[in-house]
Amino acid sequence: MSTTTTTVPLERKVLNENDRLAAELRAEFAKNGIRVLNLISSPGSGKTALLERTLGAFDPAKRVAVLTGDIQTDADAQRLARYGFPVRQITTAGACHLDARMVAKALEGWDLSQLDLLFIENVGNLVCPTSYDLGEVAKIVLLSVPEGEEKPLKYPGIFFKSKLMVLTKIDLLPYVPFRLEDAISNARSIQPGIEILQVSSTSGEGLGKWMEWVQRA
Amino acid sequence: MHELGIANSILEAVETELRPHPGARAVKIGVTVGAMSGVDRDSLAFCFEAITKGTPLELLVLDLQEAPADELVLSYLELEESTP
Repeated sequence: MSTTTTTVPLERKVLNENDRLAAELRAEFAKNGIRVLNLISSPGSGKTALLERTLGAFDPAKRVAVLTGDIQTDADAQRLARYGFPVRQITTAGACHLDARMVAKALEGWDLSQLDLLFIENVGNLVCPTSYDLGEVAKIVLLSVPEGEEKPLKYPGIFFKSKLMVLTKIDLLPYVPFRLEDAISNARSIQPGIEILQVSSTSGEGLGKWMEWVQRA
Repeated sequence: MHELGIANSILEAVETELRPHPGARAVKIGVTVGAMSGVDRDSLAFCFEAITKGTPLELLVLDLQEAPADELVLSYLELEESTP
């Protein structure tokens, strides 16, 4: 009796199962004409604040909804529900990111034919959400001014995969040592084609351009 | 720490691959990890060791290789089979 060693070539993605589910979601969204935007940032970069301003600016007849992910609490869903649009909290109970299965489950019972736009506010984390496709048309990374201009170099994955970088809290630029040009060139050194917007959810600066981007994304 | 989830996905893939080879032992699994994948190789290696310890796959070697961009791919599985 002897042993033989065989090498089986695999060549498939590690997150095959998530990607398969995400592809199903993407097909479902496309069938219903829904554009899905996946918002990703560190905790406290202003995802919820930006969504509050966004929902507040929409006509009440706008067919928009939000899924918001957190490890614990439905605090964000409560903040966002005030605007009268459908909002659901996804509580991950420890998981540091949303995956396609969680999104599919959270959408149960919603009539997708009644929606045109869906925001997914991911768990505050610049690393883990990067790997998980949720069926979105675009990932959007938020970088707030107090975090520092080196974030794109420190966490390149998410800046590589995002279609848009939103620099948030720009009303704080006079008060913190943040070099805006460096933040932009750092992001472009990771991904030359990344689109960039600057907003302040406090002063409202830049929100017009953000709303335009959202409408055409 | 989503590397724990990634490590679990790798193990599930190994178990799936082993099914058509009863009696075979998985020796080595190759995974390519791109610098933009959002996965830390050291952390993945640590998680993989932690979840295989004390299981039939304890001796399985995780071969992590560099890859371009955001690639996160299972490249190969090395099996050892007894032949009479």
